[in-house]
Amino acid sequence: MIHLENIRITFNAGTILENKALRNVSLTVPEGQFLTIIGSNGAGKSTLLSAVSGETPITEGLVRIDDVEVSRWPVHKRAKLAARVFQNPLAGTCATLSIEENMALAYKRGKSRGWHLALSADRRKFFQDRIAILGLGLENRLGDSIGLLSGGQRQAVSLVMATLSDSHLLLLDEHTAALDPRMAAFILELTNTVVKEFELTVMMVTHSMKDALACGDRTIMLHQGKIIFDVAGEERDKLDVPHLLKMFSRVRDEELADDSLLLG
Amino acid sequence: MSLFAFLGTLEIGLIYGLVALGVYLTFRILDFPDLTVDGSFPMGGAVAATAIVAGINPWLATILATFAGSCCGLITAFLAVRCGILHLLASILTMIAAFSINIRIMGRPNMALLGEPTIFTPFENLGLDQLHVHLGIVFLLVFFLSVFIIRLLSSDFGLGLRATGVNDRMVAAQGGNIGFYTYFGLALSNGLVGFAGALFAQSNSFADVTSGVGTIVVGLAAVILGQTLLSSPKIWVSVVAVIVGSILYRLAVAFALSTGMFGMQASDLNFITAVLVAIALVIPKMKAKIRLKSVRN
Repeated sequence: MIHLENIRITFNAGTILENKALRNVSLTVPEGQFLTIIGSNGAGKSTLLSAVSGETPITEGLVRIDDVEVSRWPVHKRAKLAARVFQNPLAGTCATLSIEENMALAYKRGKSRGWHLALSADRRKFFQDRIAILGLGLENRLGDSIGLLSGGQRQAVSLVMATLSDSHLLLLDEHTAALDPRMAAFILELTNTVVKEFELTVMMVTHSMKDALACGDRTIMLHQGKIIFDVAGEERDKLDVPHLLKMFSRVRDEELADDSLLLG
Repeated sequence: MSLFAFLGTLEIGLIYGLVALGVYLTFRILDFPDLTVDGSFPMGGAVAATAIVAGINPWLATILATFAGSCCGLITAFLAVRCGILHLLASILTMIAAFSINIRIMGRPNMALLGEPTIFTPFENLGLDQLHVHLGIVFLLVFFLSVFIIRLLSSDFGLGLRATGVNDRMVAAQGGNIGFYTYFGLALSNGLVGFAGALFAQSNSFADVTSGVGTIVVGLAAVILGQTLLSSPKIWVSVVAVIVGSILYRLAVAFALSTGMFGMQASDLNFITAVLVAIALVIPKMKAKIRLKSVRN
């Protein structure tokens, strides 16, 4: 469970560049929920996610993960509780290490790393089984440097890596935005599979309203650092993208200058 | 080159192989350009010499020297991680401070160890040839330390260390503490260098505060030379390459200085080093060009 209480994040506070990225956001994501987050550029979507992961220190408020208050915890400590997949496929993996070494790093996420050999026969077998679900043939290339893979393949491996350790929280930061449409669809499908199989609680930021409605079971929209609406259940099932856009413009009380930006 | 000179060069090459290993850990593994070694190498010598002259067991003195080197690394890490000083600058600050500290440790700029016991003495007393004893012991120490480093870098912890230099954001997201890895890596690196300084002082029977000048360049030359000749993503190959690079570097320098034909003198050392490093840096680019040409044809 993720619980955010009155979160404020202000960048460059007290200067001329002051930017209130999040204004008093409260949000609870119960166990097993798949939440999708949409909003225009600069709405605070990614900031909300990094408030949970700890990459952006919060100015005010409380962050609780699984009933533990983690507001002041550093990123590496929170990693024990939540796995992440980044927007940039290169950011989630380590280019000079092999596929299996990357997986070994993720296998130990949030646990103490000791003298144990990173690649034992048991672990190799385990990694092989796990990566086989991708159907990309990577199980036979575990020793290859991960830098040799395409961005999409690396993103697929990142998703598998996110499930190797035993936390049940997954934070996805526009993880399909940098991929071509075919690969993006594959990764999204894979996301749904993985989330179901491992019964994960998910927060997924996306630019695409279509994906936001197609995936998961609850959607929130951010605008100027506030949650402007929050739909789930039947009400959400009835929604389509034009509806969503209409709701958005009603809340904003102005017409959208460029619909194509959000329709994608 | 005489056999005597050759064995002597081999020994120095092996001792500086440890320096190269330290430089490899910071420059290559952690991506932290660390010039602290210019201070931690003579500090190793100064601490070992002072301790031995004070009557402390040479092995214990060597361990103290290693510890002193590690402390230099920790100070650089503190300045970089905790105080947020640019890594290069942080290491330069420690390096220049170490110069003064080293003179304080010895009480003077240099110190002779003639007639004092060293880690080599017990074996020399067995009636073995001095040069063979030095070479044998240094070889064994370098061998065991290399095995230790290879094993360390293959462990879960080592994997975190290796990833830190490439993608620190990812390491943090996987629960690795970047700050701790930096502290550990710099302490290990400079500990190795301090250890090498202690060996160098005992092998040459003196410690000199100026012996640290250019240590980083020599270490870097060995790393670049070795990895140009033996490039592989495998850790054990890299570690062997770095040691081999150090030996080759020493041999090349000894060869250039000993043969009269180039008209070189000892003070030309820095020039030779610069030329060697430049060549080692250019070779991979030339190789790539030649490969491209052959593919095009």
